[in-house]
Amino acid sequence: MRRNFRTHLTGWLFALPHLVLFTLFLLIPVVYGFWISLHQWHILATAHPFVGLANYRAALADDIFWIAARNTGNFVLMVVPFGNLVSLLLALGISSVKRGTTFYRALFYLPGVISIAVVAVLWGWLYHSQAGLINISLAAFVAGLRQLGLPIPPFTAINWLSDPKLVMPSIVLMTTWWTAGGNMLLYLAGLAGISDSYYEAACIDGANGWQRFRHITLPLLRPTTVFCLVISVLGAFQIFGQSYVFFSPGSGPARSGLTLALYMYQQGFNQYQIGYGAAIAYLLFLIVLVLTALQFLIFSGERRRAEAGG
Amino acid sequence: MSLSRRGRRFWKEWQPWLHLPLLLFAFLFMMPILWMLSTSLKAPDDIVRDLASVHWMPHPATVANFQDVLGKVEEFPVWRWTGNSLFISLTTTALVLIVDSLAAFAYARLKWKGRDIIFAVLLATMLVPGQALLIPTYLLVRSLGWFDTYAALIVPAGAGTFGVFLLRQFFQAIPQELEEAARIDGCTSLGILRHVVLPLSLPALAALSIFTFIATWNAFEGPLLFTDSMEMRTLPIGIAIFQGRYSTEYGPMMAAATLAAVPVIIAFLLFQRHIIKGISLTGMAGR
Repeated sequence: MRRNFRTHLTGWLFALPHLVLFTLFLLIPVVYGFWISLHQWHILATAHPFVGLANYRAALADDIFWIAARNTGNFVLMVVPFGNLVSLLLALGISSVKRGTTFYRALFYLPGVISIAVVAVLWGWLYHSQAGLINISLAAFVAGLRQLGLPIPPFTAINWLSDPKLVMPSIVLMTTWWTAGGNMLLYLAGLAGISDSYYEAACIDGANGWQRFRHITLPLLRPTTVFCLVISVLGAFQIFGQSYVFFSPGSGPARSGLTLALYMYQQGFNQYQIGYGAAIAYLLFLIVLVLTALQFLIFSGERRRAEAGG
Repeated sequence: MSLSRRGRRFWKEWQPWLHLPLLLFAFLFMMPILWMLSTSLKAPDDIVRDLASVHWMPHPATVANFQDVLGKVEEFPVWRWTGNSLFISLTTTALVLIVDSLAAFAYARLKWKGRDIIFAVLLATMLVPGQALLIPTYLLVRSLGWFDTYAALIVPAGAGTFGVFLLRQFFQAIPQELEEAARIDGCTSLGILRHVVLPLSLPALAALSIFTFIATWNAFEGPLLFTDSMEMRTLPIGIAIFQGRYSTEYGPMMAAATLAAVPVIIAFLLFQRHIIKGISLTGMAGR
């Protein structure tokens, strides 16, 4: 009995330092944040009257909240498929060559270790409409084609960050550059887990490259793909730094760069309406939670059907 | 059999050509960073000299932008920000290593009441988006009296669960016999962690250290919200402040961006093997 007590105590004592920090800075904030969102809470005021779900009702009736929600949704819908396609293509390329794999892996992952502040400052310069590298390169490219006699119109500067229609696609391109390497490594690990014997058997049966990819690689890579999609969605919904660095203290032309996290920040820390900000944060939390659950349901249902059918 | 051989020969002949698209992508991926370096070394009139074609080489190369950035000590205490970033990243890494290896040992190798339930709670919080925690953590930091102090940027990071999962996975793979032998020799649990488990988990500890260091060095939302004096800012926030004031001076801005990016790029190149192994093993990018 005594010894039993001691083993339990030892376990608890080892877990305790982390558990205290975890409770204080993760568990309590999750509950406390919801509590804040139920109050009319001005940062500087001493009294915080309880208002129930009024902040949530206000958000759902707030046109700007819906702009932020739509922009965030558009961003997720673009960056998740595009980013994952780039990651998968890079992984397929690297896993097919024999030499230089370490070099390619490190190089494609490199942008991921740079702070979003640096990434956004740098891309703001690349996207500059007159002197930015991207427009200069495109102009030179178009001029070259025209010199060859191709009937294309002369290049007009693209306003990457001042045309409301282009703001989110520009952020998607930059974010893909920044994050593609992480998912690429996960896809590479997934590809390495597919046994060569499948490909050898398929070769004997006369399957060509596309057939091998379609009927061996893709199905066997499915768990990796699902995992990458789920974590990409989770990450993409939280987009903040990109818009903050590009447009602070505003939110881009016609609010085209406003995201949910940025709106939470503006309401909480520029308008000092921290209760309203917390409600926006919790709506974001809710969306992420529902979507993650949905993805798991869809993918596990699909697998069950596939297993029942096969 | 002949088909297989033909397929393989076809592959052998054509596979090297895949380097072409890969190298093209590699060039595209490196272009932004090279352009940052190039601009940072250019004089103001060199930056806008020739907008009809891309010129990569600064002519003449100058370190004036770096002198400019580092010289505005009153307005932009870059050295102080660098010091802050370094101090916070190192202490956070130390805190995470200690706290997480103790906890991971408890979850992986010790049996105690409540262990599995608590571990399930840790797992469940993986779905909580970090943005949802910013406002409550901000108020918490204020009421603890930590606002605008190092503690606000270091201690909350110890709550993360990534390191616990990573280390637990490694600790579980260590053979039970080693632990039993050590116990017979009179080793305590702490002794087993120190002398048996940790020395066998160096790759995992290296991966966790470098992940934590880079994530802390790059952290944006926390330092933005939990500090407000110029002396307590970190490099990424400093870069954003710099951009807000000097939005059209691209030379100094790229010099500042280079100063913030180079330390992590060097750390990454030194430890890239550990980082890549860590990501492949845990399926997480540590962000």
